[in-house]
Amino acid sequence: MSKVILIGSPNSGKSLLFNRLTGLHQKVANFPGITVDVGIGRIQSLPDLQLVDFPGTYSLQAISAEERVAVEQFERALADPEVCQVLCIIDATRLEKSLYFTLQVIRDCERHGKRVTVLANMIDVLAAHDLTLDVDGLATALHTTVLPLSARKGQGVDALLAHLREGASRTAAAPRAHLVDTPDVLLRGTAHQLAHRYGPQGDILVRSQTRLDAFFLHSLTGGVAFFAIMYLLFQSIFTWSAPAMDAVEAILGGLANLLVPMIGNRVVQDFTADALFGGIGAFLVFVPQIFVLTFVIGLLEDSGYMARAALICHKPLRLFGLTGKSFIPMLSGVACAIPGIYAARAIDSPRKRLLTYMAIPLMPCSARLPVYTLLIAAFIPSGTALGGLVGWQGLAMFGIYFFGMFCGLLVTGLVSRTSADHYTDLPFVLELPPYRLPALHPLLRNAWNRSRHFITKAGKIIFTVTLVVWVLGYFPNFGADLGQSWLGRLGHLVEPVFAPLGLDWRYGVAIFTSFLAREVFVGTLGTIFGIEAADENMAPLVEHIQASDMTIASGLALLVFFAIALQCVSTVAILAKESESTGLAVKMVVGYFAFAYAAALLAYHLAASFA
Amino acid sequence: MPHDMTISLWSLRAGDWCEILGFDDALEDKYRVRLMEFGFHPGEMVACLQAPAFGAPKVYRVSNTIYSLDDEVASHVRVRPGQERSGQERPGQVYE
Repeated sequence: MSKVILIGSPNSGKSLLFNRLTGLHQKVANFPGITVDVGIGRIQSLPDLQLVDFPGTYSLQAISAEERVAVEQFERALADPEVCQVLCIIDATRLEKSLYFTLQVIRDCERHGKRVTVLANMIDVLAAHDLTLDVDGLATALHTTVLPLSARKGQGVDALLAHLREGASRTAAAPRAHLVDTPDVLLRGTAHQLAHRYGPQGDILVRSQTRLDAFFLHSLTGGVAFFAIMYLLFQSIFTWSAPAMDAVEAILGGLANLLVPMIGNRVVQDFTADALFGGIGAFLVFVPQIFVLTFVIGLLEDSGYMARAALICHKPLRLFGLTGKSFIPMLSGVACAIPGIYAARAIDSPRKRLLTYMAIPLMPCSARLPVYTLLIAAFIPSGTALGGLVGWQGLAMFGIYFFGMFCGLLVTGLVSRTSADHYTDLPFVLELPPYRLPALHPLLRNAWNRSRHFITKAGKIIFTVTLVVWVLGYFPNFGADLGQSWLGRLGHLVEPVFAPLGLDWRYGVAIFTSFLAREVFVGTLGTIFGIEAADENMAPLVEHIQASDMTIASGLALLVFFAIALQCVSTVAILAKESESTGLAVKMVVGYFAFAYAAALLAYHLAASFA
Repeated sequence: MPHDMTISLWSLRAGDWCEILGFDDALEDKYRVRLMEFGFHPGEMVACLQAPAFGAPKVYRVSNTIYSLDDEVASHVRVRPGQERSGQERPGQVYE
């Protein structure tokens, strides 16, 4: 099958065109660096042609390991005899930036005898502002075909398909080699001159962008707008997705009530109720949250605001080895680490992305909330100070949230200072895309794709771990007594590990099960103490914990442990997938466990010495 | 290039225009290459569009594209204050 390569600079509309031609659903956004994988699909109206979408790169002279991979893939593709044509898409509104890369592509294609067609995208934007591109002049200067089009509106796509059809039917003639030996420095000068000769004259587009930037990047109005937008983002994660999450929970609960009684075999019945509906349901409930968050982040990206938000946050985050682009993933991580890890894809520097991955699991996610609520209710007095203005329990909740964020920044600050690796780092040079109205349909489709990815990719790992924990907790006494199960025995076995924190085997078991999801800690303790539905009504469990031998020092140690430990199997699974490194995920689980344990031990002894 | 006649790109205020003269030796080659790919090459006119408070990255216009650069990068770009020069071809080497 003949192949057509699609290549272009970041944010040139490449993936939008790919989706339009193939009917596939690559993620698109108004933010540089969205395409990180090679996408392949058949062109719908030319099924004999396969379109290969390469990650956007600013140049064929790679400056990072990741760019090098993309460039090497492109070079290999050029050597592939099945590749019959290369489509180089350029942003016609910002011609000079695109032309330098285009000249590099033409030069490399000439070396391999491949024909290049230049696609001048965003021609609709030029027309809307009475600007023009001298297509014929540019084609003559480049010695290649230049086709004007709008990937967003579909304008010019028919002409492109006709061109591809014609190109596929005739034997490819080797292009005239006029750039083969031209060094980059000359290409740069040429790109500049061609842009001035044939590109749109005037700067009306830049001026309209500058007016909006004057508001959104102003020290006062920009700050207010930033906090308002972030507040809306936070609301979307916590509030807007809540009804859908409740609905998923209710549907799963209804299904369980309907199906479980119909199962005759008791073991299968318990497995279906506890492992399938209980365990798998606990992760499916996050799907609406991921959908809403992906949609809202997509809105910010597509509107062009995301790049501005990254700029605003860059300076404070740089102190901790991070970049402004780390902010949105970390903020998302406050709701749930999983969408936060997905959002980190937009960070172009591999090193900063890695550091962001390290910070996200320490953000105080919503799954920690039930644990914090339980422990604070059990150990922190409910009194107030300053005439009722400050409640001790509220202060404790604020403190533990702040502690998690502080730990995240502490870790990235330390790692960035002790493991210098300039090879995978990139400077903060961010292209600010033009503002534009987001397109709803691609955003919804992308949110759906991301949710589906979460279910299919993380689901397998989560199911396996859920199964293992359920088997350990159920056998050999068929769920009669968790304390006598293999999991209970394991709890007794590791009791010496948690004894220095003043915790007995019951808390050890609850910590083990919380590796499924942190909030399982509450339910497990409820089961051990013999309380029904402890996760819905914590009061009896609080009383049992207070009546047990557990001290306030142990309670504080547990709070600290939960603020740091990476206990969520869904997060670990997504971390391994997104970073393409199981080793990193394992190291983070072990490292954060050790860190959590050490910090909890310190907190225990400090609290015990003051008690 | 005598440095006392030049200033850094980072020292521009919002609304200032300048002509790029070159780069400090302290700037890593890969950063220099990337900046030149973005259009920050000697002879090019650049405008500082926004200089947000608290040392946040500044916003620069080069050709018809807008970039944000932080001080780690912009302070190593040597420039000479100048006037807006739109629609003008920069004298430079071309392959023709």
